[in-house]
Amino acid sequence: MTIPILRARNLSKSYGPSTALAGVDLDIAPGDSVAIMGASGSGKTTLLHILAGIIRPDAGTVTYAGPSGPVEVGSLGEGARSRLRRGEFGFVFQAGLLVPELTAVENVALALMIKGTPRKAAEPVAAQWLAALGLAGMEHRRIGELSGGQAQRVAIARAQVGGASVVFADEPTGALDSQTSAEVMTALLGATSGRGRTLVLVTHDESVAARCGRTIHLHDGALLNAGSWEPRTLTTSVPAVPAAPPPAAAQQPEQRFVQRAVLQPAWDPMGGAR
Amino acid sequence: MTRIPVPLRLLRLLWRPGAGSTALVALPVAAFALVTALVLVVLAGAMTFYTAPPAEDGSTGLYQVLASLALALMLVPLATLGSSAARLSARRRDERLSTLRLLGATPGQVGALAVLESTLLAAAGAVAGVVLYAAAVPAVALLHFRGAVLGLDALWLSPLAVFATVAGVALLAAASAAAGLRRVVLTPLGVRTRQQPAGAHWLRLALGTAAVLGIVLALSLLGSLGSFLAIAAVAAGAFAAGLAVLNLLGPFALKAVAGRNLRRAATPERLLAARTVLESPKEAWRQVSGLAMASFVAVVAGTGLALMDSAASSGTDDVLVADIRTGVVITVVASFLMVACSAGVNQAAAVLDRAGLYTSLDRLGMPVAAMDAARRRAVMSPVRTVSIGSAVVGAVVVFPLTGIALVVSPLSLATIAAVLAGGIGLVWTGLRATTPVLVRVLAAGHRS
Ligand SMILES: Nc1ncnc2c1ncn2[C@@H]1O[C@H](COP(=O)(O)OP(=O)(O)OP(=O)(O)O)[C@@H](O)[C@H]1O
Ligand SMILES: [Mg+2]
Repeated sequence: MTIPILRARNLSKSYGPSTALAGVDLDIAPGDSVAIMGASGSGKTTLLHILAGIIRPDAGTVTYAGPSGPVEVGSLGEGARSRLRRGEFGFVFQAGLLVPELTAVENVALALMIKGTPRKAAEPVAAQWLAALGLAGMEHRRIGELSGGQAQRVAIARAQVGGASVVFADEPTGALDSQTSAEVMTALLGATSGRGRTLVLVTHDESVAARCGRTIHLHDGALLNAGSWEPRTLTTSVPAVPAAPPPAAAQQPEQRFVQRAVLQPAWDPMGGAR
Repeated sequence: MTRIPVPLRLLRLLWRPGAGSTALVALPVAAFALVTALVLVVLAGAMTFYTAPPAEDGSTGLYQVLASLALALMLVPLATLGSSAARLSARRRDERLSTLRLLGATPGQVGALAVLESTLLAAAGAVAGVVLYAAAVPAVALLHFRGAVLGLDALWLSPLAVFATVAGVALLAAASAAAGLRRVVLTPLGVRTRQQPAGAHWLRLALGTAAVLGIVLALSLLGSLGSFLAIAAVAAGAFAAGLAVLNLLGPFALKAVAGRNLRRAATPERLLAARTVLESPKEAWRQVSGLAMASFVAVVAGTGLALMDSAASSGTDDVLVADIRTGVVITVVASFLMVACSAGVNQAAAVLDRAGLYTSLDRLGMPVAAMDAARRRAVMSPVRTVSIGSAVVGAVVVFPLTGIALVVSPLSLATIAAVLAGGIGLVWTGLRATTPVLVRVLAAGHRS
């Protein structure tokens, strides 16, 4: 049995008198895509933020199976969690929250530069990611010159350009129409679980949740179907990762992906939506 | 039972403890307090020259001219600070006001509330500014002019003048709130949706270069300069022309420097800072243009002073030279102080405006120090460019004189350089003071 990449045990969180989370247990398998659903105020965002190490739970633990052994996320200090987030995690927010003064490619490269990658090396990789997500030719547009769906794909590129093993997305399609939402989901799944990375996303949209490997429901801070964490059979096709040619040992996984995506026109990030 | 007008009731709702962060009220109040205090101090200082009994040597007129010049110089940064304060209170309001409109308040009620709120905050700040002014007077009273200290008595403004200043600040805030409201109604998304960054035209460069050449030519034609009055006259002419040149060149120079910085930027903070300036070079220029004037004058006047210093002269001239030097230093320091205040006010507003963006960068794992460095650099880079650039333009305009001064009186020029460096440090401190605002915004992001 695979070791879960994220393992939450007995998570609780209260804000004053209101209980946001009441004893949540959750295992997330590597490469899975998990949709968190539930009514407004049921604790979805709180759970996502605790899993991602943005806030700490009042009680309970989150264990992240990182490349260098298991990490107890909740017990890390502010600085260590910040490092963990920029090193291992990626984020897609509802409103994109891209830097308006920067161009698309600079926004994506920024995520690499924060990790210490020189700009010269970061921008070409960022541009490849944008191209792989169907934004070729728009690299030098500023965010205000992109549509909502395009901006959200820039955000996806930013979340994955650093090779994050887990991407957290809070209502990434919340501001989009259903057609654009489907396209963005294809891009998001293709960039994450489609290449063995893990996706945890909060959504109110059944059709978005249906495309994820697994859906969990929160109600008043508790999980309704906290059962198996084995991925269910996918109901929607996720762009399959092409059979990988033997990778050069030195290559980073994200570079391999980008090269495949760029070199093989058959891999169409937008294909599933059309 | 008397009925409270709707805007007043809304105001009571908004100002309930816990309805919003106290920073949202405290910041504009502090900004208006600074504006008022600086206006009062500058006014009081200038008044001493206009109300003093005429001196026997007939220097009164000259002093009044010089005081007017200093006043004119400080007007630009003071106006910038005033409009920063007004925009701060206007900006922080927009979000809550649109919420009120969604809740069903009529545009009229929302408009009345906006103007009322800005005016009340400005009035409260202005009153606090009067206290600040009173606290500053003893220090200002120690300044030496005409061989004597100014003294406390000379610096107390009449109650009427103080009241008029407070009322003026409140009125300006009201007017700016009303104007701001119309703009918000016209373009609800403002900055966010601007398609192309506002540029600076190359024509400025051509015009500016031509003007510099013209001034240098005119000065060299004037030939040798004997009396200091001739120097003063030439300096005044050069100075007026120089300011015009600076205003032509400013945005262009900032854009060029930021463009070069952008190409070279290797770190996230340098990239962000360069892009912030490029977003609107004119806006960046507007913020620091007060420094251009001050630095330019510091060099031109400093050169003149250095020359007068070295030429043996009568006792009256000695006092006059010392007084002009004091005046120049005060003008430069005050200009930097005002720019430091408005930079602080603007940055506080910008951080609050962009709370969501900063929170998202924090979630991506961008260190606070990097975000802080980026926004500080976005101001400090234009500050450096403008103050050093204007000083160089000043030196070029009176070129042969600067050269002579450098030889005969290097200490005078060193003093000017030190004052400029200190001024730059002052702006840095003003920006530093806004770091807690960013930290608080990020802390709020961690709680939600
Ligand atoms: N910073 C906070 N301070 C106080 N209460 C909070 C805070 N953040 C969340 N809560 C409360 O915790 C509960 C869960 O909030 P959470 O944001 O996790 O809900 P959600 O499921 O994401 O809702 P939505 O679908 O509306 O985004 C709510 O009752 C909310 O009021
Ligand atoms: Mg939520």
